[in-house]
Amino acid sequence: MQTKTHISARDLTVSYGEQQALNHISIDIPDKKITAIIGPSGCGKTTLLKSFNRLLDLQDGVRVAGQVLVDGENIYDPGVEKTHLRKRMGLLSQRPTVLPMSIYDNVVYGLRIHGVKDKKILDQAVERYLQEANLWSEVKDRLHSSATRLSIGQQQRLCLARGLAVEPEIILGDEPTSALDPVSAEQIEQRFLVLKNQYTIVLVTHILRQAKRLADYVIFLYLGNLIEHGPAEQVLNNPRYAKTQAYIEGKFIEEPTIHKEITLQKERSADYLTSTLLALDELQVDQVLKVVVDSEPTMNEISKAVELKCHKILEVKRIDLLHWEIIIQKQNVNFII
Amino acid sequence: MNIRQFKETIAHRLMFLLCLFVLSLVFLMVFGLYQRAKPILAVSSMKDLVFSANWHPTQGHFGLAGFIAGTLWVTAIAIVIAVPLSLLTATYLSEYCSRWVREIIKPVIDLLAGISPVVYGVWGMIAVVPLVRDYLMPFLSERLPFFPFASENYTGFSALTAGIVLAIMISPLIISIIEEVMRAVSFGVREASVSLGATKWQTTKWVVLRKASPGIVAAVILGLSRAMGETMAVLMVAGCAMQGFPKSIFDTAYPLPALIANTYGEMMSVPLYDAAVLLAALILFLITVFFNIVAWGILLYIERKEA
Repeated sequence: MQTKTHISARDLTVSYGEQQALNHISIDIPDKKITAIIGPSGCGKTTLLKSFNRLLDLQDGVRVAGQVLVDGENIYDPGVEKTHLRKRMGLLSQRPTVLPMSIYDNVVYGLRIHGVKDKKILDQAVERYLQEANLWSEVKDRLHSSATRLSIGQQQRLCLARGLAVEPEIILGDEPTSALDPVSAEQIEQRFLVLKNQYTIVLVTHILRQAKRLADYVIFLYLGNLIEHGPAEQVLNNPRYAKTQAYIEGKFIEEPTIHKEITLQKERSADYLTSTLLALDELQVDQVLKVVVDSEPTMNEISKAVELKCHKILEVKRIDLLHWEIIIQKQNVNFII
Repeated sequence: MNIRQFKETIAHRLMFLLCLFVLSLVFLMVFGLYQRAKPILAVSSMKDLVFSANWHPTQGHFGLAGFIAGTLWVTAIAIVIAVPLSLLTATYLSEYCSRWVREIIKPVIDLLAGISPVVYGVWGMIAVVPLVRDYLMPFLSERLPFFPFASENYTGFSALTAGIVLAIMISPLIISIIEEVMRAVSFGVREASVSLGATKWQTTKWVVLRKASPGIVAAVILGLSRAMGETMAVLMVAGCAMQGFPKSIFDTAYPLPALIANTYGEMMSVPLYDAAVLLAALILFLITVFFNIVAWGILLYIERKEA
């Protein structure tokens, strides 16, 4: 897939106190596409999303290591102006969070805090962005009444309009339809499909059907680890790894039982491919081998070689800065010549 | 009936009776005060007593207006000082400081709220009175010789002194409540504002304070009621000399609680004195009730506008 990368995480690790929420995530998010982050609750989806606009900074005791590059610039550099960074991304949260003011004031809130005072510009922005969020016709007669009186679906569309009004490049959605009724949810989804022509959209969702409907690219996280990512077609219809498969089929995600474990170091065991295949030979069919390696190219090479031999790779996981582990399940390979 | 259910019933009834008892105290108090204030109301009208500042008990004049005005004046000064102080302190504690700073400062502020008023009174006499006498009063009264600064009172015992002491007394309470109300504002709206590129101050000013406004009003009114009823500290630093209506923050003031505490039980030889003082108590009670009702109204108004 040849597309421009808009946001990329490089070895991103986030921890809340002792607890690690994200574990060495490296990923590229394509420009002007909808990227869905899927996975069960509490596995770091929202944390990953909020690391993109540094909203994590608001919470006490959060530590972030690694880099997040937006248009090639590391947003965790000390010199980065957070307010400008955040202006480039609109956020839609799980429950609509209207500000305690009128509909009109909600939409222009972002413009006002960035110093726009001209009434004409503000009026135009209100109409334009409410239309873009498909809310204008419903509220145009009561722009100055309190936003909290809107229905919850209208509130979410108002939040969308408010986010669009600061002219971001990216829209971040944290399960933006989870609190909405089906009709409102569909309206939001339809909006996303229109908006993706102009914006890069990153969407956290635990609704697989939603990911299927919307996503061009899918990231699957499990317990803070990046399990699989790729074009939506591939990840959702033909996942590579066991955990993704289980999640998409709605089965329990199980940690495989490891029957044998080997650690390969680059300098000492030059012939790591042979070592891996030998170790596999010693196992019976369906037993599982865990290989720990200390570089990404080695990991890639072993994975390819093992797949060529028709063994099954259950999971590839980065365990720390240097080490990768590959979980391989031995298959019956006798019939292959 | 088994024993568990019996206990349940007893507990239920007992708590109901106690609740009723507390409630009835309010009415008993009003009734008692009214009964004892009746003799003076038989002699002169309520209107004369409340709106006249002519206080000469020995001649039979019991105009309470000076004391009522004194109460309002001192309370107003205290609120003007306490509200910005409390609001900004609470904002710092809730929005800006790190958790461990808050965990150190918060208990100290709560401790401040628990100190006995007489200690504040003594502190006011040894620290605030000289400050007002030697610096504030000569400085302001000379440079701004008009209302509300012009004054002839060079003692340092003044409405401003009482206001400062009161402000420091009620601030811990107000800070504590406002901080809690602000922290109760949901994280989501803060995130929404920040994610649009707002700074912390913009978020605080436009979103958090606005969302917390009913609680802030409640906190201020609570502080106001406390200031109005405060006796000991005020008595010690306000000067307590009757000068009619207050014309300056540097004039002495004689608020109602100080009047009651100073004179009740001492001047009983003067006819009707006793009734006049109890009427003063009743009026103080009614003023406090009035402000509480106003607060309630403001809260309702804000909540209705929000919803």
